[in-house]
Amino acid sequence: MVEIALLAVGVLVVLLTLGIPLPYCFGGGLMVMYFLGDVVMKGNMLWGFQQLGNPVLLAIPLFVLAGTIMSVSGIAASLLRFVNIFVGHLRGGLGVVATVSCALIGAISGSGLTGVAAIGPLLIPEMEKQGYPREYATALIANASLLGLLIPPSVTMIVYGWVTDTSILACFLATLGPGLLIMANFSGVNIWLARKFPLVLEERPKGAEFVAEATNRGLKATPALLMPVIILGGIYGGIMTPTEAAAVAVIYAVPVGFLIYKGLDWKTFLGAGKEASTSVGAIMLMILFSMILSQMFVLESVPQALVESIFSITEDKTILLILINILLFLVGMVVNDVTAIILIAPLLLPLMEAIGVSPIQFAAIMGVNTAMGGVTPPYASILYLGARIGKVKVTKVIRPAMILILTGYLPVVFLTSFWPDLSLWLPRFFGY
Amino acid sequence: MNRFVSVLLTGLICLVAFGQFVQVITRYVLEIPVMGLEESLLYPTLWLYVLGAVNASRENTHIRANVLEIFLKTPRQFTVLAILGEVLSLVIGCWLTYWAWDFTKYSWRVWKESPTLYIPTFYVDVSLVLGLVLMMAYTAWHLIGHIRELSAKEENNNG
Repeated sequence: MVEIALLAVGVLVVLLTLGIPLPYCFGGGLMVMYFLGDVVMKGNMLWGFQQLGNPVLLAIPLFVLAGTIMSVSGIAASLLRFVNIFVGHLRGGLGVVATVSCALIGAISGSGLTGVAAIGPLLIPEMEKQGYPREYATALIANASLLGLLIPPSVTMIVYGWVTDTSILACFLATLGPGLLIMANFSGVNIWLARKFPLVLEERPKGAEFVAEATNRGLKATPALLMPVIILGGIYGGIMTPTEAAAVAVIYAVPVGFLIYKGLDWKTFLGAGKEASTSVGAIMLMILFSMILSQMFVLESVPQALVESIFSITEDKTILLILINILLFLVGMVVNDVTAIILIAPLLLPLMEAIGVSPIQFAAIMGVNTAMGGVTPPYASILYLGARIGKVKVTKVIRPAMILILTGYLPVVFLTSFWPDLSLWLPRFFGY
Repeated sequence: MNRFVSVLLTGLICLVAFGQFVQVITRYVLEIPVMGLEESLLYPTLWLYVLGAVNASRENTHIRANVLEIFLKTPRQFTVLAILGEVLSLVIGCWLTYWAWDFTKYSWRVWKESPTLYIPTFYVDVSLVLGLVLMMAYTAWHLIGHIRELSAKEENNNG
């Protein structure tokens, strides 16, 4: 059966390469398992469709909608202006503003797309005006946008917690440490690289003028800054579930977008609703079929066979962790984050537990690797979106993006794998 | 059509968000949870997922990897790849639709009801087969469009 499962994965990869929509790629894998393997489809649609109705998954559309509303309503602009008053005048400061703003947006939206969609159109022209190369500004914002998947709440961690039966709140906390470290890395690398850019810096207001300006911008940003407080405070205060917190975020974002920031009108609201629903529909259909395929693998004991075959090669924890990271990196290059988690997490979790890696640490390892997958070609959806928003050729963005991946992501991938406390101290602190 | 789709999808997603919000208010603020609210929200939620996916087919915006596109150069090559992808999507999609139909027949036969409000689950189960049929129709529509595009290119090249 392992051979048939491998063939199904092979067909899946071929279909992915051909550019076929992901739900049908998984359908192709299912066809292989059905026609060549000893598996039945009867009952699987019922099982899969019932799984989709799980209230935990409902957090995904709601966080996607909150993020989409935010990116069109002007909330992002107020956050930018607020962060800018503190570091915007420094050499490389605008790059730090971009990174920190993407992290703040990540604390609201749960998606890797929102940062680049909301910050990109505002900050890429601004950074270019200050003297940053446009392709660098685009690459930085696209990379930093993926902090949305690491700073809680996070759609990928909801999916991971759901498929592996791990506490979603613990998974959220597991990626926070690596996420903050990546944010610090990007800020530091950006300041280092900015030394060579011919930047024209604005003067920082002094004394009372600075205090007045900071207060003014702070007040304007308060409704936006309250959003993560409501979401994360609600979840970790034990008041709401992530799904309920996501609903509250949507209900809060709508009047704030319409009445306070005024970027939202009926036209943009309907557009945001349609865009979010379409993204969610595409994600959920993909989840349905990938989940059925993953379930077939589990029922046919593929994870156990995988563990045995890998252990027959080596039992060394360090080598295994390196191999797993390479595998996740390669998977991230060809599929999106949610797909990678649904397919890989149930397969590899028994192996990780066998070598003493807890499911919570594995959540962080998968989270960081799959987030990085959003900017590693050929499947680099966030990088491509960034290039479209920044109006630069993808080929021009790849080089600065690779520099940021090498200096920003890879050290954290390494630390997350080999320093468990990085991802486990916060969950432990909260009692998980 | 575009406006209808926008209103329908926005309405559905807002209904789901509002339902969850009402749940928060009634459960945690008023401390009088509404019976059956969660199970009734399941219906718009699953229809939202399916209709969102149908719209992704209509707009041809499903998530895809597009690895091979990097190596293609001419518009003709792109069109041929799109046709190949759509033919394979149709074959796989029709097979999935067959199993969704099998699931729908089962749902009709057992006529299960939700635990609190006794709403037949068939009303939500049927969405999958309807959604897949619509998705197949849109895929076929895109396929016809690409075949016509390819024929026009061939004619231009010959002429």
